[in-house]
Parts: sequence; C-alpha cells; structure tokens
Amino acid sequence: MSRRESPLLPVADAREAALFFVIGALCFLAALAALTTRGTYKAAEAWGAQIEGDITVVMRDTDRRTAEQAADQAASLANVFEARVLSREEVEALLEPSLGPGGMPDGLPIPMLMAVQADMAVGDPSEDINQILEGLGIDGDVAGNAGYADNVRGALGVLRLVAMSIVALLSATAIAVIAFATHAALLARRDIVDVLHLSGAEDRYIAGLFERRFWILALQAGMGGAVAALMVTALIVFTGSGSQGVESQLLPRLSLDFWDIVILLVTPIVAGLAARMAARLTVLASLKDTL
Amino acid sequence: MTRFRPDLSDEPAVRLDGVSLAYERTGEVLTEIDLVLRQGSFTFLTGPSGAGKSSLLKLMYLAHAPTRGAIRLFGRQTHELKRKQLAATRRRIGVVFQEFRLLNHLTAFENVALPLRVAGQKSDQYQNEVIDLLRWVGLGERVDAPTPSLSGGEQQRVAIARALINKPDLLIADEPTGNVDPEMGRKILRLFAELNKRVGTTILIATHDLELIREFDVPVLRLSDGLLVRDVEYGAAE
Repeated sequence: MSRRESPLLPVADAREAALFFVIGALCFLAALAALTTRGTYKAAEAWGAQIEGDITVVMRDTDRRTAEQAADQAASLANVFEARVLSREEVEALLEPSLGPGGMPDGLPIPMLMAVQADMAVGDPSEDINQILEGLGIDGDVAGNAGYADNVRGALGVLRLVAMSIVALLSATAIAVIAFATHAALLARRDIVDVLHLSGAEDRYIAGLFERRFWILALQAGMGGAVAALMVTALIVFTGSGSQGVESQLLPRLSLDFWDIVILLVTPIVAGLAARMAARLTVLASLKDTL
Repeated sequence: MTRFRPDLSDEPAVRLDGVSLAYERTGEVLTEIDLVLRQGSFTFLTGPSGAGKSSLLKLMYLAHAPTRGAIRLFGRQTHELKRKQLAATRRRIGVVFQEFRLLNHLTAFENVALPLRVAGQKSDQYQNEVIDLLRWVGLGERVDAPTPSLSGGEQQRVAIARALINKPDLLIADEPTGNVDPEMGRKILRLFAELNKRVGTTILIATHDLELIREFDVPVLRLSDGLLVRDVEYGAAE
C-alpha cells in the first residue's frame, strides 16, 4: 500500500490568510462595481428610451371631443403604446411652474394637450399624428423629445463611460494587488523553492506547485467575495423592489439576471488567473536568478 | 526505463579550470581554482572558516555560476547546459547541506523521498527504498517523525539519506559531522566511505574536523583565502 504524500508546500499560514482576505475583499468590490455598472446601464437605457418615446401634441382651438378622437386614432397606430388627452387639472399642474400656484385665470385659453407614449424602436409616429390632426381639422403641433433625448443620451453615455472606467480601474487595481500580494507571499517561501531547485526539480515543476496553490487560494477567496456581492445585491433588489416614481428610474437597476450571474462567476476565475500568473512569474523570475 | 549514462571512463566527475567566484557584497571569495575529482574518488576539503569551502561546493552542486573559469561535470561544460539539463544534472548530485535544509512540514520519510518525488516517481515506487535507507542511517524507528521533532543529529542523518536516495554519481557534503557527536560523525564518514567503496560514488566532503580526517587515508584539499592548495600534513597523496 502506498503512503499518503503530504503536499510539498506547507499549509497556508497567516500571510496566506491575509492574502485570502485581500483577494476576497477586492473581488467583492469589483463584482459589486460591475453589477452596479450594469444596473446603471440598464437604468440609463430604460430612462433614455422612455424620454425619447414621450411625444406631446398641442391642439389649439378645438373641443375635447375632437381632441379625444385624435387621441383614439393616434393610439391605434402600430408604434404608439398609449395616447390620451390630458385633463385640465393635469395641464394646470404642468403650467404651475410657469404661472405659479394660484391657479389658471378662467378666461385664459388653454390648448388641449395629448400625451403620446411611442415605441421609437418601431418608428417615430410624429408624421402619422400630424396627418391625424389634419384629417380632423385640428390646428396643432407635434413636439417630440428627440433633441432633448439626444442631450440625455449624451449625458448617459458619459455616465456609462465613467462607470465602465471605475470598473476597469477597480478590476486592474484588484489584479495588481492580487499579483503583488501573491508575490510577497511567495518570497516568504523562497527556502522551499531553493530546496526543490537543488533537489533537481525543473523550473516548470516548481512553478506548477505554486501556481496550483495560489490558483486555488484566489479562486476560493474570489468565490467568497462574489457570494458576498451576490448577497448584497440580492438584499438591494429585495428591499428596493417597491421603489416607485421618477427618482427610482434614475437609480441603478440592480437585478440578478443571466449576465449578472456571469459577472459573479467570472470574478473568482479572473482573481484565480491573476494569482496563478503572478505565482508563475514570481517563481520563474526568482529561479532565473539562480543557475 | 534505464537512465542514459555516457561512458565517462576518461572523464573526471568534476573538473574546474581557473574558476573564480565573486559575490556582489563581499567581493572575490575563490580565485583561479583548478581542481579535478576523478570518478569514484573520495576527497576531503578543509580550511578555516570563511576560506570559501561552502562557496566552492555551491559551484559544484550548481547553486551558483562561476564569475570566471569553466566547470565541467560528468563530461559536460555547465555553462552550456540548458535549464532542463541543469535540473537533470542536479539529480545526479547528492548534497548534504551544512544547515540540513529539510522541509519542516514534511516527515523524515517525505524529506528523504523529495528528490524522487520531484523526479516524478510515485510513493509506491520508492517507499521501500526510502525506508531501507532510513534504517541504514539508523532512523528506522523515526520514519514518520515530523522533522521538527528530530534532534540535530537525526536531522543530519535525514539530510544524508536525502542526498543518497537518488544513488547520486557525486555526493557533496558540507560539514556533515558538524551537528553530531564525534562517534556519530565517525559513523557518518564510515558510511560515506562504504558507499564510495561499494557503489563507486564520487565523494567530496568539506569539514574542519581534522581529527576525523586523520582516520581516513584519502586526499585532503585545503582552501586558504580563496586559493586551493594540497594539504601536506593530513590525508594521502593522490
């Protein structure tokens, strides 16, 4: 019967416990940043699409019944989700910032306003709505948010870029710190490298021992960090699911869909590969100094 | 599978031609060393502390490259060897380090088996051999003892067994009797002499224990201030 062989590298010591913590914490931050960035992306997409799809139709010198006929026809268009004529109270509320809270003078002529929610992915319905107005003899204007939406999209693009840069920077920092910490932990094992080297072990064999050790360590630590990020995200998704209103649309939309799970799965693998590569380079570099 | 061994009948095991070694911090420690160790020879290397004995041994077991000169091991110039060939050459050399260099997290058995393990052998291939060797050095009862639990003398013998397990062509020992009592020191040197006589292993032992050297009728080289001289007072003439 063959004997059980102890690993050639000693069990983890305090230095490696510290390395485990560092890698776990960095993976937690990197995964959370990546999930938040994705959430920001999704929020930006949804917000941008909503703004772009909002169309306001101003109808002058017409009665409510004709206006509602126009709204019904507009609502039947294929690229329109919803079209409705705003009530007087709603129009007053819209004008309140300009006219003050005192209410509208009774004699002031107020145009009818139609709010249209369009599906811009299918096509802009502005021209069709113009034709509906002409067909009903309504003097009106179709005011889309395209120009405004372009500005919003530009701002969202910058926001995405900043978020991506933060994730890239955090990931690069995490990889660099993992590599540095692995290097430091390895230098403490220099005596073992020397003994193996002088016992006739090939460079690749020695590097392989350390690669496996640090790959597993970083993988486990990375999984710990990713699980922590998953729990925090789940908590936010769970507690934040009831948020409503405009302000909630501006917040990152954290969720746990397929790509979020991919991010959580990839995080420990990247950490493991970074540690493995650092271990390999450190051992080979230290052996290069020897004969 | 049998290891390929070229016919080296005309080649010395070790040949140093004009070898010098300098360290960055301390400067030159060995100067123009010319040395030949014939295959199957048994030689002592002596000299005062700091004379360069350990440095000379390090050159021979390929821990360092010389600053000047050429080293030829088993018929091959070491500076021409590629890294894989260097590793293969190291496996033909058994080294007993002055400070043992045992791995503390391994047992006596595992430390002895280390050179075989790094060469890719499995434990069922070598376990009897390792146990036999540990018995031979008097540690048959301490096979599975953790290294830190061994005394200095026991650790010394584990280090010797590790150096011998590969059946090396060249055995280099740096003060192998430094941490044992005179009786054990004598026993270890007799063990080396027996190995040299029975297997034909080339042996070079660095020691400052002149009393022990006196008991062996073998050549003694002396290092003095980094220069190698033949010792005329002790040992046999070559």
